[in-house]
Amino acid sequence: MPKDGIGASTKRREDLRFLTGKGRYTDDINIRGQAYAHFIRSDVAHGRIVSIDTAAAEAMPGVLRIFTAADFAGVGGLPCGWQVTDRHGKPMLEPKHPVLADGKVRHVGDPIAAVVAETYEQARDAAEAVVIEIEELPAVVDMKAALQPGSPLVHDEIGSNLCYDWGFVEENRAAVDEAFARAAHVTTLDLVNNRLVANPMEPRVAVGDFEAHNDQHTLYTTSQNPHVIRLLMGAFVLGIPEHKLRVVAPDVGGGFGSKIYHYAEEAFVTFAAKQLKRPVKWTSSRSEAFMSDAHGRDHVTRIELALDADNNFTALRCLTHANMGAYLSTFAPCIPTWLHGTLLAGNYRTPLIYTNVKAVFTNTVPVDAYRGAGRPEATFQLERVVDKAARELGVDPVELRRQNFIRPDQFPYQTPVAVVYDTGNYHATMDKLLEISDYAGFAARAAESQARGKLRGFGVAHYIEACGIAPSNLVGQLGARAGLYESATVRVNATGSITVMTGSHSHGQGHETTFAQVVAEMIGCDASQVEIVHGDTANTPMGMGTYGSRSLAVGGSALVKATNKIINKAKKIAAHLLEAAPEDIELKDGKFTVAGTDKSKSWVDITLAAYVPHNYPLAEMEPGLEETAFYDPSNFTYPSGAYGCEVEVDPETGKVTILSFTAADDFGNIVNPMIVEGQVQGGLAQGIGQALLESAAYDESGQLLTGSFMDYAMPRADDVPFFQVDHSSCTPCTHNPLGVKGCGEAGAIGSPPAVVNAVIDALHRAGMTHVTHIDMPLTPSRVWAAMNA
Amino acid sequence: MTEVSFSLNGTPVHLRDVAPTRTLLDWLREERGLTGTKEGCNEGDCGACTVMVTDARGTRALNACILFLPQLQGAAVRTVEGLAAPDGTPHPVQQALVDHHGSQCGFCTPGIVVSLAVAHAAGRQDHDDVLAGNLCRCTGYAPIVRAAQAACAAPVPDWMREAPPAVGRRIFTENSSFWQPESGDELAALYDAHPGATLVAGATDAGLWVTKGLRDLAPVIFLNRVADLQRIELQGEHLRIGAGVTIAELRAALAPRFPALDELWRRYASEQVRAAATIGGNIANGSPIGDGPPVLIALGARLHLRRGDARREIALEDFFLAYRRQDRAPGEFVEAVTIPASAPNCRAYKLSKRFDQDISAVCGAFDVRLEADGRVAAVRLAYGGMAGTPRRAPAAEAALLGQPWGLPAILAARAALAHDFTPMTDLRASAAYRLTAAGNLLIRWHHDLARLPVHVRGVQA
Ligand SMILES: Cc1cc2nc3c(=O)[nH]c(=O)nc-3n(C[C@H](O)[C@H](O)[C@H](O)COP(=O)(O)OP(=O)(O)OC[C@H]3O[C@@H](n4cnc5c(N)ncnc54)[C@H](O)[C@@H]3O)c2cc1C
Ligand code: FES
Ligand code: FES
Repeated sequence: MPKDGIGASTKRREDLRFLTGKGRYTDDINIRGQAYAHFIRSDVAHGRIVSIDTAAAEAMPGVLRIFTAADFAGVGGLPCGWQVTDRHGKPMLEPKHPVLADGKVRHVGDPIAAVVAETYEQARDAAEAVVIEIEELPAVVDMKAALQPGSPLVHDEIGSNLCYDWGFVEENRAAVDEAFARAAHVTTLDLVNNRLVANPMEPRVAVGDFEAHNDQHTLYTTSQNPHVIRLLMGAFVLGIPEHKLRVVAPDVGGGFGSKIYHYAEEAFVTFAAKQLKRPVKWTSSRSEAFMSDAHGRDHVTRIELALDADNNFTALRCLTHANMGAYLSTFAPCIPTWLHGTLLAGNYRTPLIYTNVKAVFTNTVPVDAYRGAGRPEATFQLERVVDKAARELGVDPVELRRQNFIRPDQFPYQTPVAVVYDTGNYHATMDKLLEISDYAGFAARAAESQARGKLRGFGVAHYIEACGIAPSNLVGQLGARAGLYESATVRVNATGSITVMTGSHSHGQGHETTFAQVVAEMIGCDASQVEIVHGDTANTPMGMGTYGSRSLAVGGSALVKATNKIINKAKKIAAHLLEAAPEDIELKDGKFTVAGTDKSKSWVDITLAAYVPHNYPLAEMEPGLEETAFYDPSNFTYPSGAYGCEVEVDPETGKVTILSFTAADDFGNIVNPMIVEGQVQGGLAQGIGQALLESAAYDESGQLLTGSFMDYAMPRADDVPFFQVDHSSCTPCTHNPLGVKGCGEAGAIGSPPAVVNAVIDALHRAGMTHVTHIDMPLTPSRVWAAMNA
Repeated sequence: MTEVSFSLNGTPVHLRDVAPTRTLLDWLREERGLTGTKEGCNEGDCGACTVMVTDARGTRALNACILFLPQLQGAAVRTVEGLAAPDGTPHPVQQALVDHHGSQCGFCTPGIVVSLAVAHAAGRQDHDDVLAGNLCRCTGYAPIVRAAQAACAAPVPDWMREAPPAVGRRIFTENSSFWQPESGDELAALYDAHPGATLVAGATDAGLWVTKGLRDLAPVIFLNRVADLQRIELQGEHLRIGAGVTIAELRAALAPRFPALDELWRRYASEQVRAAATIGGNIANGSPIGDGPPVLIALGARLHLRRGDARREIALEDFFLAYRRQDRAPGEFVEAVTIPASAPNCRAYKLSKRFDQDISAVCGAFDVRLEADGRVAAVRLAYGGMAGTPRRAPAAEAALLGQPWGLPAILAARAALAHDFTPMTDLRASAAYRLTAAGNLLIRWHHDLARLPVHVRGVQA
């Protein structure tokens, strides 16, 4: 086995360039002659654009041109990639999303005009001189208010702020209601899933370039999926065919979902570069990022759980208001629906489930996927209501979960919410959690805290995730306007080194390392012989990019398929050279041997023969050794895990301290344990950030109150504990060749309910049973207020 | 002439016609083509732009996004590109970050590497403090902290020990866009002659006026080379702290004398900001939520102001006239502040959303002297975040004065606070919360002095 094959904690090859400052991120790209774009953004949440006077600004030094909506008259709006059909069979309302605000501004940060100038400073200075008159209109920020008759309309032309009213599974609605009527016990919980800002450390950047001699556009952008941007922007916005448009996403400094979408600024710089015959660059400031990157979460939910007299879950009913913000971001409609409703069975055998989701337009920044996307919202409400039920019934929350878990012998398991879980063993992950978190020793630790005047609590949560997104035919039926396969080209070079072009994209996940491990393992070569190329539509096959914990499960599977094609062909070449039958050729440690003999050819003998086909079966096969494969999964993958959080609450101040956090995950097979652990750690930090610190807040007039790192509290080193992370539980995925499930989002999905459950546990143990829920983030003042209510 | 000379990754740099507010970050990335140093916020919050700066005051990690080029005169600057050995051998923290998977997307990484390398050279073990100014959204920090721990064992590489370059004296003309005086006298004369100039000390406020506020500050007088403003001297029963002393230097100097106040300084911004920000700037900016003034007022600080050859001294609280309006004449600057050399009963508490790198919602600082019979002989209660200026609480002080020290008197003082302040409501806290919290801080102080278990970390808004 090669030393850096599957299962090895190979150190990351990308690190050295990052650690020495040699990473090449979009803002590090400067093209000779580039001009700079600066966007003038709305400072009111809702208003009618009365006039825009650019004359004075136009005359300022260095100004090349000032663009407004009028310049985009012949250009399409930003498309939405997912169509949701509501419970009455009607398509969702889909308002226009112009590149620059046309007639109205709809959120603080909505771009109204863009100045392009020789320097960034000149563009900013000129922007000050653009006179924009806006007639301010009443804004609507609260979702429920937005649905009241007479509410201001975010989009007048669609006549309503209700984007869709989705029911799932609509046919089950009556049966669910009946089950509730029959229930021995019903637990009800109202909760908010707080609005978050993804805040990758690299702000968004876009550089547009146009080469007149061959009519070729290039967009360099901070994207998780350059091919998707090329398709959406080329086909729907600017009308540029793919062969004239290249999109490059080089090193990307984190995404967490917020860099999936096609943004106005990308279309703008591509468009402006052609108009001006100059490269045009835009770099987001952090304040712009806060008001123009898509936000995440922002659900307001009522969830009800019905149980029979033996504490079996008999039905689940949810009503969620999901904030869409002012426009539909690229995948926004599918987050609260297909990525959320389908996960409401969780790890349980609940037979009947109905959820109603009302997606609402408000005068806020558009909301779309953020790490986990829909699944954290599903997990949070479910794991909170189960915990609350256990407390109401006076049973151990762990036991109530266990009792209702899908049993290991029930897989594959058809849930009542459309999806089929292929494998899993929730009892095993729960046991693992209790073991490594020393649940048995909790009582003693709680007593010790009590002696110090502190309240200790332990909270668990068990999550299920549908990832490895996703079977194209299925998502097509559900409204996706794209396929969700992945692709890989494996190019074996003449002297044996291997170049892999993948449609996946790495922005922190370490594909360059893990994908090489997979190929090295299959071929039996050293991983250093394998180069992974990604992020450039010019040299990678059409791929859908990286999100939804899909890269290894879907992109890795494409890679396996392509590598298998290579191996098959190489064996045929070897068979020819060794004068044996292809079936008798074995590939081991990079050597081709005729089974049962010592006749062999080295890897390089074969690769050379492929490219210097002097002795080659040219009649049967083409020369060369390069294969492409597309892989479309037959199902989602279903990672799951048990998370445990131990907290101490200061009764004087309400301050929550996380003492320990334990994650016992089942990700199926693992290619690089070190990287998997890193992904979980990072996800946990974001989940804990959501639970304790982070919240994007608007005032009633639609002003964003948390517009900088000073006001939006991101976790810092001191806020996050060391985690215990375990992924020894393993039920391999049954339908992809690597048996992998995906691990990128798990941490962010499972941790918020574990934290909140732990705090509630601490308060209950201290007799404060009146506190049944506290909305995130659990700041000291909120916890203190709840305790003293 | 507006020249600046420094060294960059070991190579001398001489720049001419330097605009006074050109930031090191922009210059590195845009002019020098050294794009390893990253911009994550351009306002001192994220540390992606951290560089290592060595000058006469030692080696520090600083945020390049709010560091103006002239502040580097005579300094040795190292960026992430200059931390590996000349032969390419990685710095021990670089290697440790590979070994412990301390980098994912790599964008925060250059800043993290520099912060850790500077801390490593100083033998620091307080990794969370070292990293308080560096945001990472990918790793969850634990792998980075593990890397920092692992690197501790490795010796400091010799290429990290570097002497700042020798620089000659520059001659500035009357109509320079900036001046950089080397002594207090020179500064006094210059500022008197150019009262319209902007003084820039650590630039942790002034930097933001440029990067966020897009203001033109020229002409600028840089204070960072005025050596006699950077001294801390023991003068009998008093400490005289020069206006140019950084918060980091102040913290180090005060720690042995005022151990109970250390937590306040530790929670002041982050490593990078403390290494730049000066106490003079913290006072002179007149911010109602600055962390320095309340504790200095509680200590009975006297402020020393100078204009030309004229000097005057006032009580610090009298300096703050109204919101953002101070008792400072044109051409007059803060020379120093004096405080008693010891104050065992003085405590200061800061309430903020998050422990590190956060602005106060309320900051309270208190000192008391008792008679032999336990009555309050003198008391000073000072607050930040409760009014338009940092202020004392006269009614609450009156409630304590002459009373036997104890909880009843404290409760009376707490009640009296409502006569002292009508705080405002903003994002950080509501008026009611501020008033309640301000009162509770008095109780905390009482418990603290009685050695009941309290510690400032427990108190967060
Ligand atoms: C990320 C970040 C975090 C921060 N956190 C905190 C915090 O926790 N607590 C806190 O209190 N502050 C905080 N600040 C604010 C800032 O650090 C302080 O106000 C700092 O002390 C200012 O000092 P400076 O030397 O950088 O001042 P500069 O920015 O150089 O100057 C500030 C003002 O003071 C004037 N000035 C400077 N020196 C003199 C002098 N000798 N005489 C007269 N005028 C002078 C300048 O002209 C200017 O008006 C933070 C700032 C940042 C960027
Ligand atoms: S760029 Fe964020 S601190 Fe400098
Ligand atoms: S590695 Fe991505 S922000 Fe730190």
